[in-house]
Amino acid sequence: MSNNVIDQSKDITILELLDRVLNKGVILTGDIVISVADIDLVYLGVKLLLSSVETMEQLKSGKRALLK
Amino acid sequence: MLIYSLLAVKDNPEKLNAFLEGLTGISGSGLYAVRVNEIVAVTGDISRAELLADTSNALVFAAIIESLMQEFPVLPMRYGSFLESADAVSRMIERNYEEIKQNLQLVENKLEFGLKIFCDSEKLKTALQPISETDATISQNTGSEIHTSVFREYVNTKLKAHRLEELLLSHVDKVIAGITQQLDRMDALSKFKKIVAPATVIDGVFLLEKDKKEELIKAIKDLQEIYPGMDFVLTGPWPPYNFVETTIK
Repeated sequence: MSNNVIDQSKDITILELLDRVLNKGVILTGDIVISVADIDLVYLGVKLLLSSVETMEQLKSGKRALLK
Repeated sequence: MLIYSLLAVKDNPEKLNAFLEGLTGISGSGLYAVRVNEIVAVTGDISRAELLADTSNALVFAAIIESLMQEFPVLPMRYGSFLESADAVSRMIERNYEEIKQNLQLVENKLEFGLKIFCDSEKLKTALQPISETDATISQNTGSEIHTSVFREYVNTKLKAHRLEELLLSHVDKVIAGITQQLDRMDALSKFKKIVAPATVIDGVFLLEKDKKEELIKAIKDLQEIYPGMDFVLTGPWPPYNFVETTIK
């Protein structure tokens, strides 16, 4: 029964996972540092990639802070 | 040091050390626990330059947090959270100890689920059209000023489209209310976003007790039967990524 409801669609799951890993969770002020490997992410969605890069820029400039 | 997650160890911190020995971090790096009383940061010895935001690294990062979640209450860190040393990690935990502890208590024994509901807005509007047209007829009979205006047809067309949009939004709100009602019975925390575009999407995330998982699945299945024109996609269980957005000052 569970399998009928919980969709196993790979694309949705990966997008959901990347959205969480890159855009959610506890963050450290000024210490988010990553290199963006765009080739790997572009096919999953440019919008997601851009939103993640934008988030990283905000973090670096200290506009968003959860933990000091 | 890359920080994967904060978690709570109570009586048995040795269990975590044994657990970490069985896991490998990004690029094959080791995983280490930095502990301050009951709170631990799980860290990896990977350099900043090595951490790429590619899919495989993100999958490893997520997999480690999910493994930890099976045994401990976790607060997932955002990908790319670095501190320069174990001492710096300890100081960070000490500075934020109470806030972290409260957040860990909030998510203890709970799981996050995601729900996306998709539907074709145009099809839904077609289904809702008869209701909208009934409203428009009433308006035509009562709105004498519009009735006599040369712009009547234009205004009525706009009005009809506007009412259709309102009906669509009202329908989406009704669906969300139905879900919320079910979630309230399960004492779940929830957040919703709605996007009304060519493909209407309702995006929800829930945090609920682990033992309510089957109840949630049944509730979503029942809702899918009530709204056959919409596609319900439930994902999870996830670590509580969407429920750790607390500002600590």
